[in-house]
Amino acid sequence: MRHLLICLLVLLPVFATAEDEVQLKVRPVLCIIDERTPSCQMSFLVLWESAETGYYCLYNDFGESPLRCWTEQRSGELNDERTVDTEFSYWMTGDDTESPLAVVAVEVLRMDTDDRRRKRRSRHVWDIL
Amino acid sequence: MQALYIFRQIPYTFNNGPAASPETLDSRWSEGESNMTSMIVRVVAALLILITSHSSVAGEAQNNQAPDQASQASGSSVPSPPVPPDSRWQLGIALGYGLRTNPLVQSDDIPIIVDIDISWFGDRFFFDNGDLGFTFLDNEFVTTSLVGRVNSDRVFFGRTNTRFVTVDLAGAPLASAFELSIPDRDYAGELGIELLADGSWGQLQLTGFHDVSGTHEGFEIEFDYGYGWRNQRFYIEPSFGLSFKSEEMNDYYWGVPADETNVAIPGYTADAGVNVRARLQLSYQISKNWLFSFVGEVERMSDEAAGSPIVEEQNVFGYFAGFGYRFN
Repeated sequence: MRHLLICLLVLLPVFATAEDEVQLKVRPVLCIIDERTPSCQMSFLVLWESAETGYYCLYNDFGESPLRCWTEQRSGELNDERTVDTEFSYWMTGDDTESPLAVVAVEVLRMDTDDRRRKRRSRHVWDIL
Repeated sequence: MQALYIFRQIPYTFNNGPAASPETLDSRWSEGESNMTSMIVRVVAALLILITSHSSVAGEAQNNQAPDQASQASGSSVPSPPVPPDSRWQLGIALGYGLRTNPLVQSDDIPIIVDIDISWFGDRFFFDNGDLGFTFLDNEFVTTSLVGRVNSDRVFFGRTNTRFVTVDLAGAPLASAFELSIPDRDYAGELGIELLADGSWGQLQLTGFHDVSGTHEGFEIEFDYGYGWRNQRFYIEPSFGLSFKSEEMNDYYWGVPADETNVAIPGYTADAGVNVRARLQLSYQISKNWLFSFVGEVERMSDEAAGSPIVEEQNVFGYFAGFGYRFN
């Protein structure tokens, strides 16, 4: 799946259409969890903008129904309060709700490790990574 | 501890008023960034890291990927994927700039441009940045391993210079110019036991190593304690440590035996002593793989080592700031 996404990203400029002009931005896009903080309680700001006025809906992986839809709009925003511990995506659709126009993934980075030795030994002289 | 809890609970917040004016998405985005900036400044006074965060996060946030229609167009709820097991290998590299001062006379500081982190952890055996180990006890309270390593004191002796001097190391004038070379020392292979523990109270490391290479035939006992705080992308970890070095070890590296004395270097015998060190690490996770990190460290050598005529600085300072990348 990741390879498919990479291929599509590479080919994206070649097959650019009007639909590709929907911009979707989400912030933050990284949640960092560890033993002390097993989930992120975050306020996600979702902003979108399109070249054309129309009907647009915002979805995420947590539900089947859209978070919000906009009618006769070319931009919008949403503040989504959420507690997350796994990666997920936001995406926009237009009139055709089966065809996402833009997708943004929110990544989750685990800073702890299952191996206690690795976690406890992470203190060598210039250990910064 | 209460302050710590609040610190960790601060969520990302953004100005989220109605978009009444014909602002562009980018201008609205910049507004959100400035709000985040003020919060960041209040939380951590790491200005350098903050500057780095702006460009990286902005670039990361705009991520109009080609959609995976098959899995996402339906908008169905996606179950949490199973967390994959950690790889036994860990590889990372950091590029930046730093140095470690050299306490020896007639010596150069040690530049640090690249820091490589490579480790492999098997079921019992492990390799961790030059350390080889075998873990024979690992439970929720303590991890105990047999570890082999190379002593690090030798590193200073690799950057000494030879100069013509007209005074000896005590400052007394010489009858004629003398070509002064700092005596060399060898690396020592050491074997020892390490006890590691961690919890909500921090991280503790207690180690004891003895020379097994016949180099100095001494031993070293170290104690380190550190505590880390994380607020999402920001991480700060102060730590401190003590290191007792035996008479044999101190005298090998910092003593001047009779066969090394000359008109410029008097003889010296170093007794056992305790080095004290403190360290501060700050890091900012730019993305899943990239981070910016700063680490500063100071080690005060024992009076017994610092009293050597070949030592001119009792404190050893080190720092490094750079961008790191983790491959897994």
